[in-house]
Amino acid sequence: MKRRVALSIAMVLLCAFCAFAGGSKEAGPVLIGLQGPVTGAWAYEGQMAKQSCEIAAELINQKGGILGGRKVQIVVEDDAGEPKTGALAATKMTGNRNVVASVSTYGSSICEPASAIYEKAKMVNIAYGSTAVRLTGKGLQYFFRTCGRDDSQGMFFAQAVPQKFAAKRIAIMHDNTAFGKGLAENARDALKPAIDAKQVEIVYYDAITPGEKDFRVPLTKMRETKPEVWYFTGYYAEAALLVTQAREIGIACPFVGGNAAINDEFVKIAGPKLAKGCYMTNEPLPSDLGTAEAAEFLKAYKAKYGEIPSSPWPVYAADAVNVIAYAVDKAGTTDGTKLAAYLRDKVDGVSGITGKIGFTDTGDREGVPFYLYVVDEQGKIVISK
Amino acid sequence: MRVFLEQLINGLTIGSFYGLIALGYSMVYGVLKLINFAHGDFFALGSYLGYTLLVAGSSLLTARLGLWGGLLACTVAAALCVALAGLLVERVAYRPIYPAGRLPAVVSALGASVIIQNVIMIFWGPRYQAYPAALVPAARIEVFGLGLTVLQLVILAISFLLMGGLWFVIQRTAWGAAVRATALDRDTASLMGIDFNRVIRFIFTLGPGLGAVTGVMVGLYYRQISFTMGWNYGLKAFTATILGGIGNIPGAMFGGLILGVLEMLGSAYVSTAWKDVFVFLILILVLILRPNGLFGEKTAEKV
Repeated sequence: MKRRVALSIAMVLLCAFCAFAGGSKEAGPVLIGLQGPVTGAWAYEGQMAKQSCEIAAELINQKGGILGGRKVQIVVEDDAGEPKTGALAATKMTGNRNVVASVSTYGSSICEPASAIYEKAKMVNIAYGSTAVRLTGKGLQYFFRTCGRDDSQGMFFAQAVPQKFAAKRIAIMHDNTAFGKGLAENARDALKPAIDAKQVEIVYYDAITPGEKDFRVPLTKMRETKPEVWYFTGYYAEAALLVTQAREIGIACPFVGGNAAINDEFVKIAGPKLAKGCYMTNEPLPSDLGTAEAAEFLKAYKAKYGEIPSSPWPVYAADAVNVIAYAVDKAGTTDGTKLAAYLRDKVDGVSGITGKIGFTDTGDREGVPFYLYVVDEQGKIVISK
Repeated sequence: MRVFLEQLINGLTIGSFYGLIALGYSMVYGVLKLINFAHGDFFALGSYLGYTLLVAGSSLLTARLGLWGGLLACTVAAALCVALAGLLVERVAYRPIYPAGRLPAVVSALGASVIIQNVIMIFWGPRYQAYPAALVPAARIEVFGLGLTVLQLVILAISFLLMGGLWFVIQRTAWGAAVRATALDRDTASLMGIDFNRVIRFIFTLGPGLGAVTGVMVGLYYRQISFTMGWNYGLKAFTATILGGIGNIPGAMFGGLILGVLEMLGSAYVSTAWKDVFVFLILILVLILRPNGLFGEKTAEKV
């Protein structure tokens, strides 16, 4: 008899715990995914994005969370900056049923296959550094981005750069990635009216292979075309080597990089002496954002990691988290299809770290400004006057 | 013409790096019939060790031995460390599974590659590292109107010396004879009193050691190193090995140089974007016409 009582008490307790466990699941954290290059060649960017997303989540949680007090938690899947691994990461992310939406990813060529997987799984995915134009040109319903597009950057290059350097002979070099090639083509297209009017001339247009270390051969070829300004639309690792080797073989014309070409790593590898006077077309850096949200975010980031992100991209990842959290909270749902519709139709002028956030019908961010940056004497990257 | 000469030297420099790494592939393949995919990562490991030694020991070494002496000491130390790592990897990853055949060993090699790469990432971090500019000799000289750095010439000279030295060791010494005999017929060589395991240890000291020297030179020349660089260079060196005839020592050296020059020609006179297509087109043609590689058939003795 005694045993039976004990058993029934145990059963009751078990049921109570089950109910408690079930109940707590409902009020558990809202999971937001981050697919990014946490390892691999872009690990530096990926880790800053991870830290930024976590800070964004912490700030949301400090203000009481979303959906009536639920915390936001970041789930990270590493795509190593490779399309194959990216597809795997996206598959894992969509396989996790608790993830409501995903921030994905830095490189356009990794984003492209991943976005198809998210689309199939009906999961909202917001890219934070994938700026290739064609990503939003495919009619994807669940794909958005908080960053700008390469064509607006290419347009900016064509308007600002030849004029600034009074340059007629322009060399354009890309790195055969979806991003680099896209930006180079956009810059070339944007220059077309000026070329037709015989104001400028593209004297060199070719690609280098990323991951290699010796670019003296293509650079020597470029030197012989006597360019007056040189636009490189690849990443910082190659950009630093290119600048070092170009100066060594006697190319003195101004170097202008695309928005992935210059960061602190670039200055470190090229050395402050060679980095000085290198330009880049860029979205505003975190320190130049000037919104109240940015000040708050950067303060929290600096308190935790000792420095602020050195490239523009991590804050776009943080803003992707913010806009997902906003949409989940306001739409009151974690359903992918409803979230996508809400983001497309209802999100307009939401204040984020990088300014007002809104999306076009294709999922592009509305209105992202560009600036010409330059590396100064101390190796700092500042807006060029 | 001046531009062509300049480009030729550029191509030869790239090619000599490929050649030095290719030697490591070729020696192991000759003896074990194993494609040691971890070889590229030994090269990267050497580059990182050289970096650390140079940064940590620069004040001490450079003061005692001068800039060049300090570099030499660091390079030798890095090579010795990586040779030890090579022996360790052979002992742990390859020797236990030799009896299982060739295919498991290749998989094990890939595993070793992934592990070394990640060990480098954990120790030195995922960021790019840069050899400090102050520790790299920057002197320039003019040769026949071409502006070259002294470092570039020294690297070319050391590469050729190492290649020649290795060729001498393999062809003219008792050790080399043992390696060649094992490559020809392992069982018969054992019957003649050649210790198979010692030959393998010899190979796994020499190959990774050479890889490490190349790693330090690449670090000095380009100054930027990354933990994934082993894969890229490894792949190109492997291509060079196939081009020259796998298992063939002079084949690996010339395969590397030819690959470097081909890349240069493709890049300078076709299009840099299409360079690799051009190079692999030629590789396919070579393999159709001479399936054993450029140097594969000429030498009876494979090493």
